[in-house]
Amino acid sequence: MRFTIYQESRVGKRRTNQDRVAYSYTRDALLMVLADGMGGHLYGEVAAQISVQFIAQSFQQEARPKVADPVLFLSRVLSNAHHAILDYAFDKQLSDIPRTTIVACLVQDGVAHWAHAGDSRLYMIRKGRLVAQTRDHSRVQLMLDQGLLDAEAAAVHPGRNRIFSCLGGNHPPQIEFSRGVSLANGDVIAICSDGVWGPLEPHALVNALADGRVMDSVPKLMNEAESLGGVQCDNMTLIAMTWHDDQQEDVPDTVSTRTMPADAFTTQMEGFGRGKRDQEDLSEDEIERAIREINAAIHKFK
Amino acid sequence: MATQQNCALPSGFLLDHYRVERQLSLGGFSIVYLAYDQDGTPVAIKEYLPNSLALRAEGEVTPHVTEAHQGAFRYGMKCFFEEGRALAKLVHPNVVRVLNFFRANGTVYMVMQFERGRTLHDYVQKNKGNIRERFIRGVFTRMLNGLREVHAHKLLHLDIKPSNIYLRADGTPVLLDFGAARQTLMSDTPILKPMYTPGFASPEQFAGREALGPWSDIYSVGASMYACLAGTSPQRSDERIKHDSVVPATRAWAGQYSPHFLATIDWCLQLDSLKRPQSCFALQKVLAQRHREAPPQQKTWLEGLGSRLKTMIGRS
Repeated sequence: MRFTIYQESRVGKRRTNQDRVAYSYTRDALLMVLADGMGGHLYGEVAAQISVQFIAQSFQQEARPKVADPVLFLSRVLSNAHHAILDYAFDKQLSDIPRTTIVACLVQDGVAHWAHAGDSRLYMIRKGRLVAQTRDHSRVQLMLDQGLLDAEAAAVHPGRNRIFSCLGGNHPPQIEFSRGVSLANGDVIAICSDGVWGPLEPHALVNALADGRVMDSVPKLMNEAESLGGVQCDNMTLIAMTWHDDQQEDVPDTVSTRTMPADAFTTQMEGFGRGKRDQEDLSEDEIERAIREINAAIHKFK
Repeated sequence: MATQQNCALPSGFLLDHYRVERQLSLGGFSIVYLAYDQDGTPVAIKEYLPNSLALRAEGEVTPHVTEAHQGAFRYGMKCFFEEGRALAKLVHPNVVRVLNFFRANGTVYMVMQFERGRTLHDYVQKNKGNIRERFIRGVFTRMLNGLREVHAHKLLHLDIKPSNIYLRADGTPVLLDFGAARQTLMSDTPILKPMYTPGFASPEQFAGREALGPWSDIYSVGASMYACLAGTSPQRSDERIKHDSVVPATRAWAGQYSPHFLATIDWCLQLDSLKRPQSCFALQKVLAQRHREAPPQQKTWLEGLGSRLKTMIGRS
């Protein structure tokens, strides 16, 4: 696999950043995941962190180096992430269950599958044109679909932030799955939170990402969204990936996974933003890995 | 500061797919349970639960770790993993076998084969002053087989003492508790107190850890053999360096044990690590000699076989 990928997350004018984003890849599979914790609710940040971390971890465990079935994988990890949030709320005896939007996209065998709940979006851009986009699970989107509202009115509707599907919360999520889309050289997949798509004109995002040079276009887009967002600017997160043919010559900044061992993975994820943890500290990942290694050693000699 | 005691999980508690029967031991670093798996096979489960960092109150399951102790708690977990890693690689009849490793209740668990018998420490206490040379030679020669395997994996045990040597019902020894075992060259500054037992630890363990080697475990083997005779450990090695008040075994038990055997113990207890046996094998060779004055090469082949047969009969 060969691709270029860039992710960025900014706090905007809010006190905390409740967005979480990560990507992880093995030799033969790439996962991108983004969650936007819901600020009106308790611990939105926690819900987003749990989801992204859980989904990335599941990927690392199962993608050896590919997952068996992309759709089943997405379905299982999203619903498990939802339950992980419920478990957390139960363990901590929270009065309200934290909530988060989610978009997860898995690429393997040159085919992309994605699934989402809420109003964080995935855009797929081919040759400068939008070929696929997730449909927001929001009230205004429903009203738009039913012709009760036009786009202009939707952009300023007071209830535009209300969504009817998310991970966590009191209702089981309504997760929407894409069909598999074969990727061609130069295709761009972008995932962002409403802090990014909200302030931007509908086609600004597509146009900005069209040339596939995500290393430049992502920070530029973020700047634009941030200035348009003004004093109310929400948390903004954007991850974009450009797909390259394996045959293509080396493009600078691309990731080639051809030389990776089958059981290795690389993950980019930021943790909770505040306070760097002790260097000696053992991450959840490391604990899981240590236990796996020990059990592998035990069974090897049995 | 008052020492807090952690509460053990109650009898009948379902831990992963094991049912807890009772607590076997409670240490500063862990609790060991007797439990049964779904087939009714008994296992020993060691629960990582450092007293000073995590507290489980009566009736609770998940221990409470304060925010301030999180770092140290995780660090200790690393040491627990080291033990698991060390043991998982070792398959030897004289080394305790690890069967499983899992995470639950906010901490981690190591499942080990359950051995019936008692510790050498208990045996020594019960038979104080009445322990035969042949018994000690036999136990330690076989225990050293296990320790050789440990050293062959580039590991050191670093906490050999009579209470970590288990005697199965048939008398064969099993080396337990690798809590202090480290990959030889780990130079982390410990946050938790070192786990070794002072009277059995080599001088290298008190000083810089650079000088650690198989000879450090050999010192502990010597101290353990000394304890078999004395009933207690010799003086701490860090104090011995300042003022050595240990009566050499050759003087303390002259006439009661063979001079060769007593000299072997003193040899292991040398403060200078270079003056000790440098490997398990070197010590084993000496311990396996049974006839005081006659070195083994002077024995005929048949005699050698005969004495070996005698031990086997003596064992049953």
